[in-house]
Amino acid sequence: MDIVVSAPVSRTRHGAIRPDFVLIGSVTALAALGVLMIFSASVGNVADLGLGSSPDAQRQLVFILAGAVVFAAASLVEERPMRLAAPIAYLAVVALLLLVLTPLGTEVRGAQRWLQLGSFQLQPSELAKPALILALAALLGSDPDEQLPWRRIVQTMAVLLPLAALVAVQPDLGTSIVFLFVTPILLFLAGASLRQLGGILLAGAAGLLVAMQTGFFAFKDYQIARLTAFLDPAADQLTLNYNQLQSKLTIGSGGLFGKGLFEGDQTNLSFVPHQTTDFIFTAVGEQLGFLGAAIVIGLFAVIVWRLLMIAATANSRFGRLFAAGVAGLIAFHVFVNIGMTVGMLPVTGLPLPFMSQGGSSVIAMMAAVGLAHSFRIHRSPVPGERRLL
Amino acid sequence: MRPGYRLLALGAVFIALFSVLTLRLWYLQVTEAATLDQQAENQRIRLVTSPAPRGEIVDRDGVKLAGSRVSLSVVVDRELIDEDSEDEVIQRLAGLLDISAIEVRARFNEARAGSLGSISNDVDADDALYLVDHSEDFPGVRVEAVAVRTYPEGELGAHVIGYIGRPSEQDLETPGVEGADLVGKFGVERSYDVWLRGVPGTTKYRVNAASEILSVVGEEPPRAGGTVQTTTDSELQLALEEALTEGLALARSSQEPWPGACTSENPPEQCAIRASGVVIDPRDGSIVAMGSIPSFDPSIFVGGLTQEEWSVLQDKGAFNNFAIQGSYAPASTFKVVAYSLALEQSMYPQAEEDALALQNHTDDYFCSGRLEFHFQDESQQVFNDWTPAGHGSVDLHEALAASCDLYFWELALRVWRGAEEGIDEGALQDWAEQLGFGSATGIDLPFEQTGLVPDREWFETTQRETPGRVRAEGTWSGGDVMNLVIGQGALTSTPLQLANAYAALVNGGTLWQPRVVSHVINADGEIIFENPAKPLRKLTLDAATVTLLRRDLSLAVNSGSGTARSAFADSRVRSLIGGKTGTAEVIQGDTDATDVDTAWFVGVAPIDDPEYVVAIVIERGGSGGRIAAPTARKVLEKALGLEPGPLVAAEDAD
Repeated sequence: MDIVVSAPVSRTRHGAIRPDFVLIGSVTALAALGVLMIFSASVGNVADLGLGSSPDAQRQLVFILAGAVVFAAASLVEERPMRLAAPIAYLAVVALLLLVLTPLGTEVRGAQRWLQLGSFQLQPSELAKPALILALAALLGSDPDEQLPWRRIVQTMAVLLPLAALVAVQPDLGTSIVFLFVTPILLFLAGASLRQLGGILLAGAAGLLVAMQTGFFAFKDYQIARLTAFLDPAADQLTLNYNQLQSKLTIGSGGLFGKGLFEGDQTNLSFVPHQTTDFIFTAVGEQLGFLGAAIVIGLFAVIVWRLLMIAATANSRFGRLFAAGVAGLIAFHVFVNIGMTVGMLPVTGLPLPFMSQGGSSVIAMMAAVGLAHSFRIHRSPVPGERRLL
Repeated sequence: MRPGYRLLALGAVFIALFSVLTLRLWYLQVTEAATLDQQAENQRIRLVTSPAPRGEIVDRDGVKLAGSRVSLSVVVDRELIDEDSEDEVIQRLAGLLDISAIEVRARFNEARAGSLGSISNDVDADDALYLVDHSEDFPGVRVEAVAVRTYPEGELGAHVIGYIGRPSEQDLETPGVEGADLVGKFGVERSYDVWLRGVPGTTKYRVNAASEILSVVGEEPPRAGGTVQTTTDSELQLALEEALTEGLALARSSQEPWPGACTSENPPEQCAIRASGVVIDPRDGSIVAMGSIPSFDPSIFVGGLTQEEWSVLQDKGAFNNFAIQGSYAPASTFKVVAYSLALEQSMYPQAEEDALALQNHTDDYFCSGRLEFHFQDESQQVFNDWTPAGHGSVDLHEALAASCDLYFWELALRVWRGAEEGIDEGALQDWAEQLGFGSATGIDLPFEQTGLVPDREWFETTQRETPGRVRAEGTWSGGDVMNLVIGQGALTSTPLQLANAYAALVNGGTLWQPRVVSHVINADGEIIFENPAKPLRKLTLDAATVTLLRRDLSLAVNSGSGTARSAFADSRVRSLIGGKTGTAEVIQGDTDATDVDTAWFVGVAPIDDPEYVVAIVIERGGSGGRIAAPTARKVLEKALGLEPGPLVAAEDAD
C-alpha cells in the first residue's frame, strides 16, 4: 500500500465516516455483561437484592459510563494531534510510574502499584499499555513500509526499557509481559525481518540474564512459587493452586448451558478468590456455561477483528500500527486472563478487558480502542461507503 | 512481507489463540463438566457424624453386664476468651467445679492453640447445667457429652464380656469403623462388636467458602447398638470365679515356702499360676459360666491405664481367657475317650502278653503299679501308675473310677498292635477328634485355641520341622500312644474342649457348638440376631455306653475307690454328681523340675439327666483330687441350688 499522508478529513468537507457500530456494540455488550457478572459475584444470594446492594457493581457502572465518554472523545481525536500527543502521554505515564514508587504510592499485598486520588485508585501501569503502543506506533509510523532500519529498533528499545523497568520494579510481572508481547508485534508489523526479530529475541534474553545476574531484576520467590505450583496442579491445592483449582471447578460446573444467572453455587458462596477482578470469567463460565463463555470469546474476537480491519484500511502507517497494536493488546489480555482461569497458564494478574472490575483498566482500554476507532472515523471513505453526515 | 500479509499473519495468530481457549473451555465445560461439578458440589458439603450409643450386654436373666453412661466434661476454647477476662473465668470455674484456681490455670495453659483444653472430666449434671445456663459468665467454656462404657459387675465375667479400646490397623479395615471410634478388643465386646456398635448418624451441611454452615441438607439419626444377651448366669459365674480364686489360694498355701511367696513378683516354680473353668449346659452347648483367674476389671480400659498397670496384669496373664486359650494336657480326664471307644468297639486289653484279650467290660484286669514297654530297638521304658502300689483287680468301670493307668495303657497297646485285627493305629485319635479335640469348637469368642491331638504324621512332621519339640530320633511309637491315652505327651486340650467332649458323651452323643450369646435385640425388643444352639456333629454312641459312663463318673465321686470320693465325702448332693479327676505331669524340658502337676476335674450334675458339665483346671495346682475336685464341688453345689461351704483340700488322688 502506498503511503498517503492525506490531509485530515474534516467534517465540513467530506463528513466523518460512520462509526463502527459492530465494534461499539461488542464493547458495550461486554461491558454491560461485566457489570452483571460483578454484581453476581459480589453479592451472596442475589435473588431479592437490587443493584444498590453491590457497591462494586455500582462503581464499575460509573467507570463504564466514564469510559464511554472517553471512548467518544478519543474517537474524535484526529491523527496529527495524536502524533503530537504521543510523547507527552509517554512522559506523563513515566512520571506517574515514578510517582507510584515514591511514598505517595499505595502498597497492596507487597506490590506498590497504585496512586490514591480521593476515592479512586489509579493504576498507572494500566495507562502505560496504550501509552506505549501510541509511542511506538508514532515512532515507527513515520518510516516507509517494509523497511525497518536498525536504528529504529534501538529507539524502540529505548522507549520500551524505561517503562518496562519501572513496571517490573513495582513489581507487576503481568504488565511487563504485556509490553514484551506488544512490542515485537509492532516491530513485526513495522517490517522487521526474521533476522531482526531473531536478533531482538537474543538481545532480550541476554539483557534479561544480565539484569538477573547483576541483581537488578530477579523473580520474586512468590512468582517462582506460583510458576512451579502451576506446573503441578495436583499439589498445593489449598494454597498456591487454590485459585486456579476453584476457577476450574467453577467454570467446569457450568456445563454447556450454565447454572443460570445468579444460580451459580461456587459464585454465590464465594469460592473463587478475586472473582470480581482477575477471575471474573469464572462467573460467566458457571452461570452462562460454555455457550455464554463462547459468546464472550466471540465478542472479543469480533473486537479484535474490527480493530484489525481498522488497521488494514487505515490511511497511515501510524494508524495501522496503532490499531493493530491495540488489537494485539486486547487479544493478549483475553488469552492470558481466560487462559489463567482455565488452568492453561499461570496466574499473572492481567484483567479481562471491559469486564474485570477496575477503573484504570476500563478507562485505559476505552481510550485505546477509542483512539484506534478514530482512525476509522477520520479516514478517507472507500468508494461506496456512506458518511455519517 | 507486505504489511497486508503481516496483518493477516497476526490475525491468524489471534485466531489460533482464541481457538485454543475455546477448545480448553469445551474440555472443562463439556467433557469434564460432570466430574468438576461433582467436585465443586463435594467441597460445599460437610458431613458431620454423631456417634451411636453402644449397645448393652446382659446375662440370660437380663442382668446388665456392660452398658453406657453419659459423661459430661468441661472443655475450653481459649481463643474465644479475651486475655483480660481469662482470670475471672478461671476463678469462676474453680469455684464451681471445686478445683483449685491454680489447677484450672494449669489446665488452661495446657490447651494448645487451635484445640480444646479439657478442664474436668465427669462433672456433675448440676454443675454442667449451671455452666450452660450462665454461659455469658463462662465465655469459651463448653460442656461436652461423651458416652462412657460401664461394667456394673466389675471383674465378674470379664473374660466373657471383654473390653473396648481404640481400633488397630486391622480393625480400621472393617467398614463403618472410624479412627475415633472405640471397638471391641476382647470377648463378646469384640465378637459381637458389629451388633453393639450401632450405626452413627450423619448430618449433611451446606457450607460456603469460609466453611460457615448455611443449611442442613440431610440428616440421618444414629441407630443405637443392639442389646446382646448372653447365655451366662451371673450367680453361677460368681460362684465359679470365687471357687477358682479360693482353689488357687488353697493350692498356693500348701506350696509356698513362706506365706505370700506365690503372689510375690517372682513366685517360686512350684507355685500354682492360674485357675480357669467353664460350665456348659450339655443339652444345648450354652455356656452358663466361664472364668479365668487372675482376672481384671474391664472398666480400667475406659479411663486409660498406665503402661505399668497394664504390664502388671499382662505378665500375670490376666488378659487371657485360659478357659479357651489355655492348652493343657488333660491327663486322666482324657480317659473317657478310651473308655467310650472300648465300649463302643468292644475292645478290651489283653490280660498278659500272648494271652487273649478281655472279652467284656466287666472282665477283670490286674492293675499293678507298673508296666514295661519294649521299643522296637530292644530298649524299654517303664511306665508307673500314679499309685505305685496299683489298684488291684479292676474292670473297665473301676479302672475309670479309680483312674487306673495300666488298664488304659493296655487299651492303647491293643490299638497299637491291632493291625491284624483291623484296628487302625489312629483309632484313639480319630475318636478324640470326633469328640472335638484338636480343633476349635467355634465358640463365639475370639482367640480360641485348638489344642493338639498328636499322631504319627504330626510326629514325623514336627521331628523334621521343629526339632527339640519331640524326640530327635526314632519314630512314633506305642509309648506315645500310651501317653496319649492317659492324656499326656503332646496331647493338649482347652478346658472348653474337655467340657464339651464330656457334654457330648453324657448327653447321648451330640457334640454342640458352644455359645455365649443367645440373641441380640434392638431398642424395641425385637430380635435382630439369633444365635441358636447348633450341633457340630452327632456321634454314634450306644445308649448303654452313655448310661455306663454316667454311672462310672458317679462312682468316681461316690465309691470307695473313686478318686474324687474324698473331695465330695460330706457333700449333701454327691449322689447327684459324677466326675473325673486328672493330674497332669508338666515336664519342664530336661531340667529336673519341681513337681508341678496341673490339677483337673470335670464334673457332671445331675448325673442322671445332666444339665451342667463343669471343667476346672488349676495350672500347677497339684493333684486333681486334692485341689480341682473341691473347687468344682463348690460350683456344682451352687448349680444344684445349694449354698456351698468353704473350700477344703481333699486327699491327694489322680
